[in-house]
Amino acid sequence: MSRQRPDSVWRSLDRKAMAVAEFTLRQQRKRLSTWVVLGIAMLAMGVLTMFYVDAMVRDYDAVDNDGDASDFDQDGYPNGQERLYGTDIFDETDHPGLLNPPVAPDDRSVWVNEDDFDWDSLAEGSYGVDDDGDCDREGRTASQKDSNGNGVPCDIAVSTGLFGNTVVDSDGGVDEDPDDEAYAKEASHRAFVLAIGKFGFVFLLGIFIPLFMATGLIRDEMTSGTMHFMLAKPIARTEVFLYRILGFLGIAWPYMIGLVGLVALITGFVGPGDGMFRWRDLGVWLSVLLAALFAVLVYANLFCMLGVMWKHGIVLALPFAAWELGMILTTLGAPDAAILRFSVIGWAMNVVDAGAAMAWSDTGLLIAIGMWGGGNGPLEGAEALQIFASDTGLGLAPLPTMIVSLGVLMFQAVGCWFLGGALFKAKEID
Amino acid sequence: MMPDKAKTGRDASSAWTPDTSVPIVYLNGVSKSYGRIHALSNITLGLSGGVTGILGLNGAGKSTLFKLLMGKVRPSAGEVRIFGEDPWKNPAPYARVGFVPEHEKMHDWMTALEFVATFARLHGMTKPQAEHEALRVLDFVGLSDVANKEIGRFSKGMRQRTKIAHALVNDPDLIVLDEPLQGCDPLARTTIMNVIRELGKLGRTVLVSSHILSEIERITEQIVIVHQGKLVALGNLHAIRDRLDQIPHTIRLVGDDVKHLAKDILDHPAVYGLSFPSSDELLIQTYHFGALHAELPGIIVQGGHRVREIDNPDDDLESLLTYLTGGGA
Repeated sequence: MSRQRPDSVWRSLDRKAMAVAEFTLRQQRKRLSTWVVLGIAMLAMGVLTMFYVDAMVRDYDAVDNDGDASDFDQDGYPNGQERLYGTDIFDETDHPGLLNPPVAPDDRSVWVNEDDFDWDSLAEGSYGVDDDGDCDREGRTASQKDSNGNGVPCDIAVSTGLFGNTVVDSDGGVDEDPDDEAYAKEASHRAFVLAIGKFGFVFLLGIFIPLFMATGLIRDEMTSGTMHFMLAKPIARTEVFLYRILGFLGIAWPYMIGLVGLVALITGFVGPGDGMFRWRDLGVWLSVLLAALFAVLVYANLFCMLGVMWKHGIVLALPFAAWELGMILTTLGAPDAAILRFSVIGWAMNVVDAGAAMAWSDTGLLIAIGMWGGGNGPLEGAEALQIFASDTGLGLAPLPTMIVSLGVLMFQAVGCWFLGGALFKAKEID
Repeated sequence: MMPDKAKTGRDASSAWTPDTSVPIVYLNGVSKSYGRIHALSNITLGLSGGVTGILGLNGAGKSTLFKLLMGKVRPSAGEVRIFGEDPWKNPAPYARVGFVPEHEKMHDWMTALEFVATFARLHGMTKPQAEHEALRVLDFVGLSDVANKEIGRFSKGMRQRTKIAHALVNDPDLIVLDEPLQGCDPLARTTIMNVIRELGKLGRTVLVSSHILSEIERITEQIVIVHQGKLVALGNLHAIRDRLDQIPHTIRLVGDDVKHLAKDILDHPAVYGLSFPSSDELLIQTYHFGALHAELPGIIVQGGHRVREIDNPDDDLESLLTYLTGGGA
């Protein structure tokens, strides 16, 4: 026997909450439509993930971005090797083989991807190593070696442009022939994580799961007459509204956590990197998950409210979903647009962007150097990443942005619950 | 059959305590309109204790009356109180109320036990408490052997009894049953009627609606008659019936020699007309239905007549309403 404790109003409230939430959860589980919606959502995310896996396992052509694997004078020495030893690339009678001691010709492949981006040192300010020595070669003047004038010879000056964009200014010959495959995979990986996170989980699932499963939480019970059983009990209608939402979340949230976790695991193992698993991505996935859970919470309250307002509430929800689509597209190009404050998705995107900014602080630079591409950009993957990565829209640091945005989403959810509860309370039920 | 309250799951935490100085059900000048349709007009009524039958034809306003009591709709005018509280504003009194809605739709995927226990938890009971109470009331309505069967597989009568069980699980003081006998088979009907009578004996206030006079008659004598949204009669059914006896009435007899029987009856002072719709059928018109009805068996036996059927085609709600509304029904 359990210990007898005095009952309080709160304990009895708990029981009602659990009873309605549990009932709602079981009711949803018994419905075929629930499994159809969740199944289709899983299938859609699965297909997208397959495209991603394909992008990660395929081979990318190694591009000789700076053209130094070519041999213009056909003397058997690639241009890069000739430049390194100071011989004429257009004169077949002048090549490093004639030097003392003679130098054997390099295979051309040595001069492809020979001056890669220096991933580990990616940071604002100065970075870059002249791996192939074509910047720092003999005979070049100090001003030639420091053409960007930042006082550091043979580096890449990274600065913030007028519009907050990252500007890359190379001394020339530094990181000019990056490893295209490595870049494409890293950039595509990040682009995919952001794309499926923002459009897949937060937007599509965030809207459509509540649209199909939460719009009828109250409405269906009212139209079928079964609401009479629930409302003939000592329970306020606003409570019924809230507990029904809780029951819905009981199925929608674990589903989201499972699906986001699954895709995070797949991309963590399949994604590019030195280690076995990309631990650094987890911060981004966590922010995607947070944004998705909050989006589901707000949309569930909103759509349930629309269902109470009108039995064809889904008709009201669809234009709203279209509005949200417009808003998510706006976040990609103009994450700081004021109109985004009047959406749910704008705030959810702030959460993802803030998480991405914390976990991948070098994304802006990664895009900038990819677009530059050693002077021959954009590299594959750079444009995709540029589309899906956005700055945090509030002009605050990432963490405050996340806290403020989650606060606003919570406020929106509570607002919709309050409004939905008030509408439900004023509703006459036949 | 209903255990005493001390042993039931009534939640001790209930923050609300009823006002015992007022009638359990109280309506004062209550009207309800849906647009231009007047569902109820100026109803004033106070009820406490016992079983009260709410009689009325379909669409008379019985369900609207119940919806007002259950806080489902808001009165257009007047005040509705249960246990002294306005049910539209405060759901707390429902801790002491059990409601059986008319709607047929139930949660068919649940077992009877789950259904009753789930809604019992909305009274603040713990899960084990709720299950214990659910089994108790399912036993009370005679469904303990099918408690673990899905409601979707139940007959209409079993469904009604499940609904009644769900309404009794909190051991309510007021039980409101909207057309509980509709569509039930004779066995379920009898069981439900017994349950309602038993609740009345236990001192609970029971409101039961029906559009069939004979059904209500078998349950209670205390009736409220609603017609076209108005309260046309309130009181003891027999008292109303006695007055009904004084108005022209028809008795229908079916037998082999109704013409000979007619001769014996013709002289009776209460009879003012006879007719023969068919060779074995006799219709008797009378001003004193009660008196004639009492003497009729004696006359039949004395004359050695063989009668297969006696009934009163006028003894239904429509006739009662015709009388009560002065022919306007």
